[in-house]
Amino acid sequence: MTHVAPDGQTIAPAEAAGAATPVLEARGVYKVFVTRGRGGLRAMTALRRVDLQVRRGEFLTLIGPSGCGKSTVLNMFAGLTAPTDGTVLHEGVPIRGVNTRGGYVTQDDNLLPWRTTLGNVQIALELKGVRRDERHERAMAYLAAVGLRGFEHHYPHELSGGMRKRVSIVRTLVDTSVNVILMDEPFGPLDAQTRLVLQDELLRLWEGSGRTIVFVTHDLVEAIALSDRIAIFTGAPGTIKDVREVPIPRPRDVFHIHDAHGFAEIYDAIWAGLRAELTTEPMHDG
Amino acid sequence: MVDALAGAAAREARYEAALRRRATGEALSHQRRVTRTVVSWQVAMLLLLLFAWWGASGRLLDRLFLSDPISVMAAFWRILADGSLWYHLRYTLVETLLGYVLGASTGLVGAVLTWLAPGGEPVLRPLVLLAYATPKIALAPLMILWFGIGVLPKVVLAATFVFFIVFLNTMAGLAAVNPGLVNVVRVMGASPIGIFRKVMVPSALPFIVAGLRITVPAALIGAIVAEFISSNRGVGYLINAASARYRTADVFAGIVGLLFVVLLMNAGVSVLERSWLRWAPQIRNPLG
Ligand SMILES: Nc1ncnc2c1ncn2[C@@H]1O[C@H](COP(=O)(O)OP(=O)(O)O)[C@@H](O)[C@H]1O
Ligand SMILES: [Mg+2]
Repeated sequence: MTHVAPDGQTIAPAEAAGAATPVLEARGVYKVFVTRGRGGLRAMTALRRVDLQVRRGEFLTLIGPSGCGKSTVLNMFAGLTAPTDGTVLHEGVPIRGVNTRGGYVTQDDNLLPWRTTLGNVQIALELKGVRRDERHERAMAYLAAVGLRGFEHHYPHELSGGMRKRVSIVRTLVDTSVNVILMDEPFGPLDAQTRLVLQDELLRLWEGSGRTIVFVTHDLVEAIALSDRIAIFTGAPGTIKDVREVPIPRPRDVFHIHDAHGFAEIYDAIWAGLRAELTTEPMHDG
Repeated sequence: MVDALAGAAAREARYEAALRRRATGEALSHQRRVTRTVVSWQVAMLLLLLFAWWGASGRLLDRLFLSDPISVMAAFWRILADGSLWYHLRYTLVETLLGYVLGASTGLVGAVLTWLAPGGEPVLRPLVLLAYATPKIALAPLMILWFGIGVLPKVVLAATFVFFIVFLNTMAGLAAVNPGLVNVVRVMGASPIGIFRKVMVPSALPFIVAGLRITVPAALIGAIVAEFISSNRGVGYLINAASARYRTADVFAGIVGLLFVVLLMNAGVSVLERSWLRWAPQIRNPLG
């Protein structure tokens, strides 16, 4: 399946590794962090036997209480952290070292402060050797798609929080050589209105693109509005207690998602499981 | 109807344009007022200092040791006119400049190599800190022993004054790079060289520039100290010789000459700084 992006580029179709192979997979993953405390080294289990399969082209959301290890899972998919036990795979191949075949929208926007909006959006293309004029054209098309025309020569500190988030998302999406996007609470620090607008923009950019998105949030309504499936984590040490399909048809209207048929049922079903995790104190084992 | 709407919109646009012009004008005149106030205070304090100097000399303190502003001006004018200031300044300038370039380049390259070498930072940084902490002025007599009394020992001493600060500042800049930025470009497929060029260097640049700036007077101090110890030319020699003969006005005249040199070099670094750090207008320099 191919798709035409805002800049007219076709996004690389998923490799023909067999449609059944998960794009990303965690098999029996454990993560133990060893930190230096007052009483010497201290080991803390952050993830306990995580099994997760990400299907090609789906929008999968990880939801769970803060500190349950959601960011750690994304870091493993990006190859920035290795599991202590178990395997993390991309297209069926174990991930060793940094996984450069995925895009990562990190929790902090991590824009390069010495680059303008345009420079930040172009960085991935620059690193991959895309020609200057093509780079410029594609970056401008994506900036226009999220209403950032006119801000291309602004530095990050001259942009609002919502604009910075847009730039960090667009900087990842503009690289059409990646068809898996990891997003870590990208709308977390934004006000409610900006959040809805960005959710809507993200869905419009993603729908029909054939790209796979693994999204992290702690906001259940956001998870339902955006996802095909939602994986619910337990409190720390995190493990996946349930994965739910969201039966709301697309295209979705994020502004009126509460009125969508089936919203109340899925909300109540997931909330029941989530609330149990929020009320238990996080456990630590030394 | 449509025409009426278009007319209203055009009027509104003109009104807003006038508003923008007014706001810009007000901002500009506010800026000018602030500058004027600051400069007035500075001039006033300088005049007060000169007046206190003039008043104290001969009354509170012996003129022999203090001289006075008018004699200093006369002395400065004399050594300027007879060419002796320029003769000595030439040597000091060359020593300072060579020492600065030598110290800054070895400091920069050394820091980068140390950072690139696995384990280089934890091993070398404490050692360099130790060397930095030893008083380098104590090295001046040794420099004369090793390198004679020509230009070379002055250059080397000036370079040691510059090297450590540039080295340590560059190391600090590289260590302060946000790992989040590095990880983002790593996931985008950046090579180690790509990471270095596109993240490490620009991120460490404010630290590096700060190091390059604060070492400008340090290089001059190194050259002057070496001239004090042993020399027959240079402003350090000029001051030393004048002070040996109790010609205090000449000592101050030499210092005034050095002041101009530092101001000039500082202005040069400022130009570099403005073009390199255009993205970081919030960083204000203490020597601004
Ligand atoms: N690099 C690290 N070193 C030590 N502990 C870490 C590190 N990264 C995460 N942790 C710990 O692992 C747990 C899970 O963290 P994280 O994945 O960030 O959770 P979440 O994203 O769900 O809020 C937390 O208790 C956190 O303190
Ligand atoms: Mg997190």
